[in-house]
Amino acid sequence: MKRSTTITRRGLIQSGVAGAAVVSTLSFTRMAHAQDGMIKIGFVSPKTGPLAGFAESDDYILEGINAAFADGIEIDGSTYGVEVIVKDSQSNPNRAADVAAELILDDEVNLMVVSSTPETTNPVSDQCEINGVPCISTVAPWQPWFFTRGGNPAEGFEYTYHFFWGLEDVISVFTEMWGKVDTNKSVGGLFPNDGDGNAWGDPELGFPKPLAAQGFELTDPGRYQNLSDDFSAQISAFKNASSEIVTGVMIPPDFTTFWTQAKQQGYAPKVASMGKALLFPVTVEALGDAGQNLSSEVWWTPTHPFSSSISGQSAKDVADGYTEATGRQWTQPIGFAHALFEVAADALKRSGDPTDYDRVRDALAETDMNTVVGPVNFQNGPVPNVSKTPLVGGQWRLGGDFKYDMVVTANGDAPDVPLGGDMEAIS
Amino acid sequence: MSMSYTVQRSTKASRVAMTVGVLIVIGLALAPYWASRGDLRMMVEIFYYLALAQMWSLLAGYGGLVSVGQQAFVGLGGYMLFALAAFGGVNPILALVLAGVITALVAIPTAFVAFRLTGAYFAIGTWVIAEVFRLGFAQVSALGGGSGMSLPASIVRSIAESRSGREHLVYWIALAIALGSILMVFLLLRSRWGLAMTAIRDSETASESLGVETYVTKFLVYVAAAGMTGLVGALIFLQKLRISPDAAFSVQDWTALVIFIVVIGGIGSIEGPIIGVIVFFLLREIAADWGSWYLIVLGGIAVATMLFAPRGIWGLISDKWDINLFPVGRRLITEKD
Repeated sequence: MKRSTTITRRGLIQSGVAGAAVVSTLSFTRMAHAQDGMIKIGFVSPKTGPLAGFAESDDYILEGINAAFADGIEIDGSTYGVEVIVKDSQSNPNRAADVAAELILDDEVNLMVVSSTPETTNPVSDQCEINGVPCISTVAPWQPWFFTRGGNPAEGFEYTYHFFWGLEDVISVFTEMWGKVDTNKSVGGLFPNDGDGNAWGDPELGFPKPLAAQGFELTDPGRYQNLSDDFSAQISAFKNASSEIVTGVMIPPDFTTFWTQAKQQGYAPKVASMGKALLFPVTVEALGDAGQNLSSEVWWTPTHPFSSSISGQSAKDVADGYTEATGRQWTQPIGFAHALFEVAADALKRSGDPTDYDRVRDALAETDMNTVVGPVNFQNGPVPNVSKTPLVGGQWRLGGDFKYDMVVTANGDAPDVPLGGDMEAIS
Repeated sequence: MSMSYTVQRSTKASRVAMTVGVLIVIGLALAPYWASRGDLRMMVEIFYYLALAQMWSLLAGYGGLVSVGQQAFVGLGGYMLFALAAFGGVNPILALVLAGVITALVAIPTAFVAFRLTGAYFAIGTWVIAEVFRLGFAQVSALGGGSGMSLPASIVRSIAESRSGREHLVYWIALAIALGSILMVFLLLRSRWGLAMTAIRDSETASESLGVETYVTKFLVYVAAAGMTGLVGALIFLQKLRISPDAAFSVQDWTALVIFIVVIGGIGSIEGPIIGVIVFFLLREIAADWGSWYLIVLGGIAVATMLFAPRGIWGLISDKWDINLFPVGRRLITEKD
């Protein structure tokens, strides 16, 4: 009985794939006309579940990528068709590991790309590392990607690469923004007990040291569990320390709870710079007008002076195309989802033989290119296997085509990105 | 007119099933020689879900212990593997076994707490215990706290030299665990404990009044199931390579899906979880990429099964043809003189 399932499985997968191609928009297959082979790229992202906001633009990006690769890519005189196989992690690290293994073992992908938070990037990277499949990941600060996977700065990893910014960048951007507003330099910190929160609040590698060095006084009431429904303890700690600045890395529902309770309890900081929670306009809109001048790290905007190495589109073209296709406001992951495939295509082209894992890995290691999110170079990162992309800071302002607009107000670390306005205190 | 009767355990169906079963097991044991790497991995997953389902069916179907906190033991087993292998330098395979033993030991004090509750309170209580485990492990910074940790590649490589050697070994271990779980339930049910459990299942009060030691029986089953669940948990995270509190103590992955498997397959039988796990993996292969619809479909099937076939698919089959593949029950054969 058991045996027959495993035998019919093949057929099932085939009919399933055929069905999925018709029914769903999740499967993107495009065959090149004249081809000497087929390259398979596996793509894992959280299409459903609490992290789904990160993957909102995937379908749009893949449409563009498939169009760009419709005629295949030329490698060493041979033309290869490109097939991108998309799997949903369901925002679940267990599922992310499973689908990564499926892509490696069943689909036999030549290269893996993965995006969106350590909960997605880390399990997928681990599967690739142990199975010897090259992997490119993004949209997770590099420290939680590198260190919680047991990375050793002297050795690095063999098959897994990552591009994004790091904690040092977000600290620098946040303190730059805070310096532009007149405050008492007292900061309240909200760090949850999760991958990001532990990294940000870490006494050695996180916020505490650099903040102290720059004369900010940090009040950290300790790690809290995600999806808390009461932040009274934190609010009263911040009130006691008369913190005029509040910061941290919260998940969106927790920030909404915190901000509402802060208002109710009469705590009104002048600056609120929150990582992760304020990335998406929908979160800010949910606060009504109380979202005015909340600030956040900004990894990518349509005003970033970069363009795609695949399609030649500028950042603005990519973002406008998304709004045109979906009617929705641009979000930051759009640029990075596109850049993932830029880095992938670049490494494949230089590999000589895209079906050889080690040659693709060697090409990946030598990556030095410009993408729609900025330069990516795996030779000169802070640790092996990591490349840093520029980070700026911005504030949400009411008005414009949508309820809120993201305005860049701090660009000290990336002066190429134009400022959109001056930093303002929350009134 | 007098009646004579005999009590029969094995039937023709069960003897045929035994023969077919042995052939299937031989085929499965040889799978590394006929299946692809992807198939092997999928079968490992099927095996550990089968073992989890057998344990849950044993608890709920026979012991009357409806636990929604089995993820406590899956997570504990997984964390013990990581702690022993990464920090204790224990060989991962040996760590697997030790993780099962440690989990069973931890289940003893846990049982003292959980058994103060009954029925629905017990169910919620076990969930609360699992949450306590999750929050507890989130505080252990050596194990990565809330962020979790990866199993170092060097440890994974220490299982066997070659990649295929490693994959085959893990496959055989998974197969052994799945068969072991079936055998464990089978032997338990054939023993006098099994008779006691069947009595408890039918009426706890009545069985107690007849002298069945209900507390001891349930306690034993709970601890044994926890040990097996911990062993399975260690295997799961040896496959996943990465553990974090949310992944390890996931109520959805390690209890809700397992309940789904048992409910559609048929609770309180050995055959039920086997059928349930097959149906579940078929559904997953077909529908996992449908996004939210996949979970809605699973939920819909579970609700429909509970309404129209409360004893699951196996319940329908055994009612219709009166068969049992595993000779654990007793049937009365009467003959008129």
